[in-house]
Amino acid sequence: MTAVRTVAARPGAALSTAAALLVGVGGLLLVCLTLPAPGEGTPPDARAWLAGILALLAVGALGVRGAAQGESRAARTLPATLTLILAVLGTEALLRAYAVPAGLIPTPGRVLSALWTARSVLLQDTYTTFVLEALLGFLAGTALGLGLALLVVRFRFLELGLLPYAALFSSIPIVALAPVIVKAVGLDWPSKTVVVAVTVLFPVVVGAVRGLQSAAPLHLDLMHTYAARPEQTFRDVRIPTALPFLFGALKVSSTLALISAIVAEFFGTNGHGLGFRIQIEVGRFGLDVVWAAIVLASIAGMAFFALVSAAEARLLPRRS
Amino acid sequence: MTTLRPPRMAGLGPMLVVALIAAALYWPLMLAANVGPAGRTLASGAELDCRTALACASQLRNPVVPAPAQLAQGFVRLSTPVTSPLALPYNVGVTAGETLLGLLLATVTGLGLALLLVASRSFERATLPWLVASQTVPVVAIAPMLAVLLGQYGVQGFLPKAIIAAYIAFFPVAVGMSRGLRSADPLHLDLMRTYHASGAQTFRLLRFPASLPHLFTALKVSVTAALVGSIVAEISTISFSGLGKMLAENSRASDTVALWVIMGYGAVLGVTLVALVNVLERWVTPWSRR
Repeated sequence: MTAVRTVAARPGAALSTAAALLVGVGGLLLVCLTLPAPGEGTPPDARAWLAGILALLAVGALGVRGAAQGESRAARTLPATLTLILAVLGTEALLRAYAVPAGLIPTPGRVLSALWTARSVLLQDTYTTFVLEALLGFLAGTALGLGLALLVVRFRFLELGLLPYAALFSSIPIVALAPVIVKAVGLDWPSKTVVVAVTVLFPVVVGAVRGLQSAAPLHLDLMHTYAARPEQTFRDVRIPTALPFLFGALKVSSTLALISAIVAEFFGTNGHGLGFRIQIEVGRFGLDVVWAAIVLASIAGMAFFALVSAAEARLLPRRS
Repeated sequence: MTTLRPPRMAGLGPMLVVALIAAALYWPLMLAANVGPAGRTLASGAELDCRTALACASQLRNPVVPAPAQLAQGFVRLSTPVTSPLALPYNVGVTAGETLLGLLLATVTGLGLALLLVASRSFERATLPWLVASQTVPVVAIAPMLAVLLGQYGVQGFLPKAIIAAYIAFFPVAVGMSRGLRSADPLHLDLMRTYHASGAQTFRLLRFPASLPHLFTALKVSVTAALVGSIVAEISTISFSGLGKMLAENSRASDTVALWVIMGYGAVLGVTLVALVNVLERWVTPWSRR
């Protein structure tokens, strides 16, 4: 299945890859520079440009494919970066070729400039949404979830009586929950923190309990024959087997946390937060600011996901 | 990976006890949550047929936590007449339809992506990080634009919401299936090789069946995600029916009781959809039952 290919052994392949990338990226850049921005100058003949742009994208894709060969560090990280560059340039070129009005889809260039001009407001919003709401809520929900999970594992009664409800609650859509909580707690940021905590809570409980109970009976028996104390068994067997399950739940929750914070902001804010900004700017057709907010939200989301993954890599013993 | 199933029968007793405790705690909690606002309403001199803050706590117009009687009233008010397009049952049906259509789209997209991810290492390296990133993009933000955009090309009504639902729901399917397609037992793969089976045969007889349990685990995550997606889509686009439209409407009107009732309906719909996937799972993969 896994055929070992080596690029280094064939310098010709590396050369053609570099050439394809250069043609793809450079060509698209040139197209973007020659075409007028939508709304300025005469709209170009879209058909002809479309063929050219698609051809350049295809050449670029070939280059990406070439760059992804082998097992080097560059082969692991470069393709994704190159894909992003190609996609952004391709979008810009297509939007310019079809002269799509900025009120419908703003070009990536306009979004970048909006990101710069509105930076202070947007950063303030990101701080509110990401740090105050998503991160705090995530931490609170995780702590509460872990506590509940420990109780559930310790007391069989709770496992039978409470866990089915946790599984039920985790299938409630957050958006149905958010307006109720926002109305109950108030318009300031703590209400969104509560929404995030509640949405994070149930997946964490379910994941942690499933993990804590997944210890192999053999291992538990072994600890028993060692006359290990319960807390030793817990530390040495149950927690290590629970961690992969827990981190699975945490990874899902990390993206969920940000999205719930933004959704909750749709149901009332005191004028801060990315969700609020997006809602306001959509109403004013300031779509470049909206996309700038989306870019910031997804950067925050990726950072959050990466943070959890990094914690997982540190805490989890490496296995094949 | 075993899925969490509530234990049969044995769990009913404790579940009932917990439900009873929750029900018993509801009344004092409700009073505690409402006393503050009730006191403020009284102090403002509003017309209420009750004297003390405590007595008013169960009959506020916009309670923080509605009293059981208010909930029951709200339930009846919003659920009847059952077939009316303004009542909740019809709107729940609309949302359920959008969700299921979205789930179908998501499954098809997810399966296609999973096949590509498994077939090509370079495709995986070039796109997987951005597939992950696509899930951190708040869909709420894109929903209104997507609706306008699709409207330009004549896609209206049901479909935009289903597409937005599919956008959130495709990712678990893609990831779960790509893991599932790789999960075939190496021993079985060797056996197929000794039989000189073609790639397509190996796929049809071994890889695909082996991936089905993963698919259903993913679908259970996806179906709730799709529900969230279709509700969000209804809230943030122009829509005339569905749970999301009712949520937005009543949130603007500050009708708290209605919000609680809609939340209840949403919960029931979510649970029902997951149960539906469970039934489908047992029907399609009877061998994975334990």
